[in-house]
Amino acid sequence: MRGFFISRMAQLVVTMFIVSVVVFFILRLSGDPILVVAPDFFSEEQIEQMRKFWGFDRPIGEQYLNFVTKAITGNFGKSYLAKRPAMELVFERLGYSWILAAAAAAIGLTIAVPLGILSALKRNSFIDLVITSMSSLGTAMPSFWLGLMLIIVFSVHLGLLPVFGALEAKSIILPAATLGVGMAARLSRMTRSAMLEVLNQDYVRTARSKGLMHKTVILRHALRNALIPIVTVFGLQLGWLLGGSVVVESVFSWPGLGRLMIDSISVRDNTVVQAGLLFFALSFILINYAIDVIYIILDPRIKFQ
Amino acid sequence: MKTARLFLLFSLVALIGALAIVPATAQDDMSEFVFAHSGPIRPMDAHSHWYGSTHWMLRLYYDCLIGRAADGDGYDAEAAHSWEAVDDTTWRFHLREGNTFHNGEPVNAEAIKWNIDRVRHPIGDIPLYQQWAFVKEVIVVDDLTVDITTEQPHAYFEYDVSYNGCELIPPAYFEEVGQEEFNRNPVGSGPYTLVEFSENDRYVFEAWDDYHSGRPEVDRVVFQVIPEPSAQVAALLAGQIDMMTGVPVPDRENLEAADGISLLYGSANVMYHYYARSSTDGGAMSETYPGYEPATLDVNVRKAISHALDRHLLAEVHGAAEPRLARVCSYYPEGFADKYADPDVIAEWYDPDLAREYLAAAGYAEGEGPTIYMDSPAVGRGGSAKEVSEVAAALLEEVGFTVDLTVRDASAFAVEVQRSGNNREMMLAALGCGPALLPLFYQCDWSSANDAICVEEWDEVADAIQVTIDMDARLDLWEQWWEHYIDYAQTITVFEITNVMALNTAEFDFSPRADGWMIFRGLAHADM
Repeated sequence: MRGFFISRMAQLVVTMFIVSVVVFFILRLSGDPILVVAPDFFSEEQIEQMRKFWGFDRPIGEQYLNFVTKAITGNFGKSYLAKRPAMELVFERLGYSWILAAAAAAIGLTIAVPLGILSALKRNSFIDLVITSMSSLGTAMPSFWLGLMLIIVFSVHLGLLPVFGALEAKSIILPAATLGVGMAARLSRMTRSAMLEVLNQDYVRTARSKGLMHKTVILRHALRNALIPIVTVFGLQLGWLLGGSVVVESVFSWPGLGRLMIDSISVRDNTVVQAGLLFFALSFILINYAIDVIYIILDPRIKFQ
Repeated sequence: MKTARLFLLFSLVALIGALAIVPATAQDDMSEFVFAHSGPIRPMDAHSHWYGSTHWMLRLYYDCLIGRAADGDGYDAEAAHSWEAVDDTTWRFHLREGNTFHNGEPVNAEAIKWNIDRVRHPIGDIPLYQQWAFVKEVIVVDDLTVDITTEQPHAYFEYDVSYNGCELIPPAYFEEVGQEEFNRNPVGSGPYTLVEFSENDRYVFEAWDDYHSGRPEVDRVVFQVIPEPSAQVAALLAGQIDMMTGVPVPDRENLEAADGISLLYGSANVMYHYYARSSTDGGAMSETYPGYEPATLDVNVRKAISHALDRHLLAEVHGAAEPRLARVCSYYPEGFADKYADPDVIAEWYDPDLAREYLAAAGYAEGEGPTIYMDSPAVGRGGSAKEVSEVAAALLEEVGFTVDLTVRDASAFAVEVQRSGNNREMMLAALGCGPALLPLFYQCDWSSANDAICVEEWDEVADAIQVTIDMDARLDLWEQWWEHYIDYAQTITVFEITNVMALNTAEFDFSPRADGWMIFRGLAHADM
């Protein structure tokens, strides 16, 4: 087990280093942030002065070294625009992104797993057709469109739920449902195909012939063994929810990390973008490691390596 | 079974946790006005940025020495109860007795001096100093009297003293906590106090009982960032916000039909122009396109462009704009609205035959005009830009130009073209429209990324405008200035954007300000 953690930590360090290089240089290549920050009426000399103030006049290698040495200690520099530490801004939004991701994941799982199982059990039936069609629809539906439709129905016409923000507990329902529906669509398809695969296995037939209850056969013997691919997809989706729910956060004005990133990218606030992207990368890697551990719990044949 | 239970447990815990963690809003009897801001909103240190739409909000929280009157006619007393010009280069401000910042620190002459000295010094992080360069010295006469001197008579003194960066912050508190902490816990002296905010998301202001001019009528004003216009419309229809700006064309009918909602129209304080290069100097253009000689170096080509553009049509394509010929918004007397904003004059200005004549004068045969490289953002300040540029390109092609149009995302356009000076030949520029700094931009010693303009006579008129205090004499100079502007045709003004706003008129009364700023100091309840 120790070897497992050491190798994963080494992978983490190497990946984060690569990500930091890529993020830093891509952002530098995407243009001079001072040109966005400086007022319209600034002359070239004044722009040069600002560039000097923020250290953009230094060689790019020196800028990178400066960035990395500070980033190791958690100091990603000050946001050019908010004039506050970039990491502080990221942490302010992080909680909201996690809450939204957790709620969406809960909705996704609650819908996807039972429907996926049902669809597999009723293979080629009308129910299966309805569930797989719904799942295709859910996958194909753009989240911004679904979000706006939910707003029109539940906020404008029924007046039940807030359109924007994170002001009260029920504010989370619409954005979480929007994200959760998409996740459920993808997960239910995966659950269906994983279940179909295991339902034909010998150990399921054996369990049935032993006279076990149908529910026990499905949930204890079949589902448990179908979980590995489901957990894999779930992990990927969770990582996506943490970083990729940008559109939904914008539609619902949810004050999460995704919206912070979009705002920062549009005005080239590089320090915040760097801090946010490295944080996304770290979250994604850690989720993957957690999934590795879950594999071992689910399937004792898999060992820590 | 265990697995299924685990799933259910995870889902329940996550859902309940999420619902529990999101805070509940306080309910009380205070009147609350919620304004949807498209974002982003900049930091609370008012001196550290120049973004107009953030300054709208900051003017709730901070007083200036004086403020611009909502109707555009004159100035309102704020921290100074009166002021006068002592001579051509000295202005004296008399401060209110007993006036304090929200933390109790006095708003005195020393505080005024500290604030103006901070904003006018060329430090990299305070990008407003150019606008305050007219100040020579701030002199504390006594605790409640302060003089501001200028190197030479400054025509737009009151205008500039009441503009971005005029917001007063408490010196002792700022020096004690520093900029970072000030941005977390700001202190102002305006009619509203800031009770809570989350950066670039939601700002809640409450009326300040001790404000020198009386407590504002509306108890609470909220600036809520809602980036999506369609979500703003939905929130307004659902009664969750009270006002939005920049109402999209397809939603106007819907909102107008809704009970208790009215559309208001006012200036957005933004104009669209096409810059046509009159020189290859300025910015990176000559390095990016070495040896390239824009056809627009010939003034006849620039004039041909100006007469080929149907400004009425372009304004219609935009959806909320009024055609213009001069680069100052029409409510300023300097804009000479009767001449340069007159719809008939502008309709006559569109003259494709005259445009062809100018092309012929530039040496181009009929139907064989030059190729023009046009750059445009996809979305400009105040609305669509791509469509406007596409139609402009079609109009130019009608008189014989060939147009090579490149449309970029707004921030890419700003970085790659406009601010770096890579406008090869012609570009769309969406800009503010005040008169104060305008003459500077066309002077020989102005270093611009987009061009280098130097016309001696025009330069002299610009110099004279900046030092002429008397308004009538100044307007005479402006008249001359516009003749040069039109004749040189480097900036081809197209239209002024109209801000279409939607307001919950069942509960609130708000008249759009002349300058287009969304300042809610004078917000009132609707008559019931």
